[in-house]
Formats: sequence, structure tokens, C-alpha cells
Amino acid sequence: MATLTMVQAIARTLAEEMSRDERVVVLGEDVGKRGGVFLATEGLLERFGPDRVIDTPLSEAAIIGAAVGMAAHGLRPVAEIQFADYIFPGFDQLATQAAKLRYRSGGQFTAPMVVRMPSGGGVRGGHHHSQSPEAHFAHTAGLKVVVVSTPYDAKGLLKAAIRDDDPVVFLEPKRLYRATREEVPDDDYVVPIGKAAVRREGTDLTIIGYGTSMPEVLKAGDELAKAGISAEILDLRSLVPWDIEAVMRSVAKTGRVVLVADAPRLSGVLGEIAATIAEELFDQMLAPPVRVAGFDTPYPYAQDKLYLPTVTRILNAAKQVLEY
Amino acid sequence: MVRETLPVMETEWFQPFTEQPIALLSEEGEWIGDFPLDLDETLLRQLYRDMLAVRLMDERFTVLLRTGKISFTAPMAGHEAAQVGVAHALRRGHDWAFPYYRDYGLALALGVPLVEIFGQMIGTRADPNKGRQMPCHPSSRPLNIFAAASTVASHIPPATGAALSMKIQGTGQVAVCTFGDGATSEGDWYAAINFAAVQRVPAVFVCENNRYAISVPYSCQTATRTIAEKAHAFGIPGYHVDGMDVLASYYVSREAIERARAGHGPSLVELVVYRYGAHSSADDDSRYRPREEVELWRQRDPLVRYQRFLARHGLWSEEWERQLREEIAREQAEAIEAAERAGEVPAEWMFDDVYAEPLWHLERQRALLRAELQ
Repeated sequence: MATLTMVQAIARTLAEEMSRDERVVVLGEDVGKRGGVFLATEGLLERFGPDRVIDTPLSEAAIIGAAVGMAAHGLRPVAEIQFADYIFPGFDQLATQAAKLRYRSGGQFTAPMVVRMPSGGGVRGGHHHSQSPEAHFAHTAGLKVVVVSTPYDAKGLLKAAIRDDDPVVFLEPKRLYRATREEVPDDDYVVPIGKAAVRREGTDLTIIGYGTSMPEVLKAGDELAKAGISAEILDLRSLVPWDIEAVMRSVAKTGRVVLVADAPRLSGVLGEIAATIAEELFDQMLAPPVRVAGFDTPYPYAQDKLYLPTVTRILNAAKQVLEY
Repeated sequence: MVRETLPVMETEWFQPFTEQPIALLSEEGEWIGDFPLDLDETLLRQLYRDMLAVRLMDERFTVLLRTGKISFTAPMAGHEAAQVGVAHALRRGHDWAFPYYRDYGLALALGVPLVEIFGQMIGTRADPNKGRQMPCHPSSRPLNIFAAASTVASHIPPATGAALSMKIQGTGQVAVCTFGDGATSEGDWYAAINFAAVQRVPAVFVCENNRYAISVPYSCQTATRTIAEKAHAFGIPGYHVDGMDVLASYYVSREAIERARAGHGPSLVELVVYRYGAHSSADDDSRYRPREEVELWRQRDPLVRYQRFLARHGLWSEEWERQLREEIAREQAEAIEAAERAGEVPAEWMFDDVYAEPLWHLERQRALLRAELQ
């Protein structure tokens, strides 16, 4: 058992998976000698060589597209996009090729690949180093979408993603890469895609969050507890598929729900979950679902910390559903 | 993973970046190559049979369209020599092909069963792709024909990736990727060939340059005189080839493929062809192409030229032509019938193959549709 940051857990997991299965290869910009700009691929080139740790030209389309071909031909590529904000030149490859290959070939060809990307704000990166573009991926049939928030989950879900037979977009909140350390078991465990985690049990309201915003969500839970309010906190972890059972079980129990994420509010994943809750549990709800999301502006530079859902904003939303 | 030791190429017959397109047959069908023709009669005849089958299949597609059995077709006439030449240059079922939507000639010459081709065109159960795509999208796992996509040039980065996998795993395979002239303006085209060149992967990029991207002529697509010379930008050889000469298409592709297989990296092969028909059944080419121009190219017909070559070598006769046409017509008619007989694709197949296993949200939607249809 080692105490690791999230980015260390990712680097170790990549090494473990590459040792376990020689079909697993890593490709991306600066993933070789540099070990990735966040060091998520540190030490892999030295250990596995340039055939399996491939520094690519500076082209996201080439990275994702090549990963599709490698996967179709029998490898298990793990592509790194340096920042999630840079996915757009590669988005066509993700949406047109990776997501639809199994479907359009009637299951003859598949693209078992992982696209890892550091996402989210809170690092004063301005709008091209801070976005959370998960809604684009969640809206593209054929992709699975995972957003981790802890070192333990990063390991277990990355293993699940690499072993999955479909393309998985694996979002890593860069703000959390080194925010905390956690004991990460050495054994070969997998956290299944599609399962939420209950981070805190409670009875008065449910707060559903994921990714970058989880520290604020947990802090809000602590504040509420101090005020004698029992919040149940779910970390979704997977957005496609999302854990409808865990969500409905919790909201059916509490009757009140606040949904929190840093991605823009308009057409976001939270809206989909809120709408499903309303469709299924309308008669058991004590208040309408309330979202706390990123604002629908491009991600700002100067107001970096204000853009992200703050504890105050989450507590206000909690108040709104509790006092409805 | 082991990298297999590969042989060095012994002979290279073709020079890259020629002023004039490389041709091995004159318009009159004379062999004008400066090396000995080394193909046996069976293959020489097969090339003709395949070209004729492609021409007749193209006509069939139009008939199916007019009778309302298919919704779309992308005419191939004029591309036969290019597609059949390339198909025979790769090792069938071993190498991989990455076709685009005008490549059913390539698929046919690679051996995709006619019933699968017509099954895909009509969208019946005979289609191994389960009726998921509009007509003219070849795909065959057993023959390593990567499922075509409509989005121009999007299949080129995957071709580079497959070739990279072939190199890493030392499989001795080659990835051959075909596309039109319009594709060369896409960023994916550049990104993919650049990466392939850097990694020296076993890939061959083949442009079926028919001078038009729907209505946009070559002169509005690029300022370079040829597509082949764009290879300079990647540091790889580029071959400018008369794509209406099946032997030139075959030999240049074969050399490029074997160079790639031997570990000498990718090449760009430009096969200059002409699209006799409109871009697709949804297009009216009389709005942008003078009829005289179409007529001029039709006079350089790849089948006629090759027929003259075969006749010179005593490999073609009117009787054989008549027999071939009958045989091909019968095979295609039977394949259409079999494809239709296979029946409609079930509604619920819509929900299969989105993912390896069913996900809850899709299963709910499947149930919703099932209830609606009951």
C-alpha cells in the first residue's frame, strides 16, 4: 500500500497495465522523455521503450485517429490529450471514428481505447486550459465517459477503462492531480464503470457531484452536518453510463437533490440527471432538483476561483431545496 | 513484442515525382513499360473481369436507385482501373484496406461477396454491417476492409494507427488507404500522413484523383500541379500515375506496398482518373462540368485500353467478352435476389453494437420502441 497523489496513481496504473498486457501502448504529445506535462506517464518510456510509449506529432487528430486504427488492429492504446481543451481537433476522430466504429461495422470492428485528458479549472489556466467538455462526449453515442476525483478511483477506473472493449473518455481533474494523497492498494483492483460512490450517508438531502467539484461538495456536506443537516453525497464517477440505481435510491430516500459540477450549465450532464429524477420520482420529491454548475461563459482567467461552484453556492442551493 | 526482420527491396522500377503520369499501356494498349511484364495470364484476365464487373455493378446500382430499392449511389465508372489495380496489389485478407465511399470496385476486387455488397447497398440482413450505413460504405472483417465512413478523410488517421500497430507487432502487413482529391485538403489527411512518415509505418496512401470534389474542380482544391508532389512535405515518395491504366495502377501500388512491407516507410500514390458520373445520385454534374470534357475522358476508357492490350496478347475475344458479361450479369442478378431474400433488418438491431454490452439507457429505449411497435 502506497500513499499517492492522483497523478502518481495514474502513472503507476499505466505501468501496471502495460506489464499485465503487452497490447497496452501509450501515445500522445510529450508522453515519452518528458513523462507527460503533468507527469502522468513518468518512467514509462524507460521501462517499456519507444514502441509502446509513443511521442506523437503535435496533432490531436493524429493521436485519436491513430489510436482508433491501433485498437481496431488489436492493440489497447491509451491516448493522452495534453489538456481536455485541445480535444477539438481530435473530436472528429472521436465522434466519427472511435464512437461509431463498432456500430457502423455491425460489430465487425471495434475501438477498445482510452483517451485520457486533464480537465477542469481552478489552476488559473484561462479558457483554453480549464474547460470541462464532458457534455460533448456524453452526447456522442458509442463513447463511455468517466470523471475521477480520488487517487483510489483513478487507479481502479483507469484499469476498468483500459480493459473495456469500447472507447472510454477518461477525464482527470487537473486541479486534483496533487491536491490530496490517499492510500492506494498495490493489488490489481478494478472500480467498475457506471457505479457511483456514496461519499457520505445522509437522510435530509442528496448532493450529487463529480470530478473537479467534489472537494467543495464534501466541504458543503461538512458545513451542513455542523448545522445538523444530514446530506447524502454521491460521486457519480461515470457519466456514461451513469448510475441511475444509486441516484434514484438516494433521492427516493431524501426527496431533495442538489446537483453539482463545474461544466457549463446549459445542455450539461446535470440537466439530464435532474430531468430523469423529475420523470421518475416526481411524486416522492419534496422540492424540485437544483443545479449548481459552471457559468455559461467561456472559462475566465481572472475570475478562475469564482467560476467554479463554491461552497457558498452549494450551501445556498441546499437551503433552497430544504426550505422549498 | 518482436519486430520481424524484413527484406530489403531489390528492384525499384518507378521514380517518384515524375512530370508526366506513369503509364505502362499506351492508349492503343501497347506495353510501354521499361521492365518485363511478369504477370500470368490468369491475373491479366482477372484484372479485366474485375473491371468489367465493377462497371456493370455501377450500372446495377443506378438501376436499383431508379427502381427505388436504394436511396443513394456514388458512381465509380472511370475509377475501375485504379480500384482494381490497387486491390490486386495488396495481399488479400492479410493486408488491410481503408476505403472511402466510392470504393466498391476495390471491395469487389478484394473479394467481398456480391451478396454482401448488394446487402449493404439495399440494407438487408445480408449486410454483415447490419444495415447501419447508407449505400456505398464497404466493410469486411474477414477481408480486413475497414468500415468506410462518409466523413471525408476521417479514415486516414486510423489507417496510420493500424499501420503503426502492424509495425509494432511485426505482422508483415501493410495498410492501404484510398481517398479522393478533396480529402487532401482536410487536416486529418496531413496529420495522418505526417505521423505515418515520422514513424515509417507500413502504409500506402492512394489518392483516386478524379479532378472534382462534388463540383469543386482540382484548381480550386489545391495550387499544386499534382497531388503526388505533396509527398515532399512529408519526406516520402509521391508517385503520379495514370489511374486509367490498370497495369500502372497495379505495378506502382505493388511497389509502394512492398516497399512499405520491407520497412522502407509509407508512400503517396496519386492515381489520375475521371468520374464519368455525377458525385452521387443526389448531384447534377451538368451544372459544373461541360459534356465535352466528360466525353473526352470517356474516350480514354480504362476498360477499352486494357481490352486492346489483352487482344494484342491473344487474351481477349468478342466471344469471351460476351460470356463474361453474361456470367457477371447473372452473378449480380442472383446476388441482388439473395440480398433481398435475406429480409429486412429488424427494428431492434438499431440498439445493438453501440457498446459491447447493453447499457441501461439504451435498453430502456429498446423497450420503448418495442412497446410502440407492438
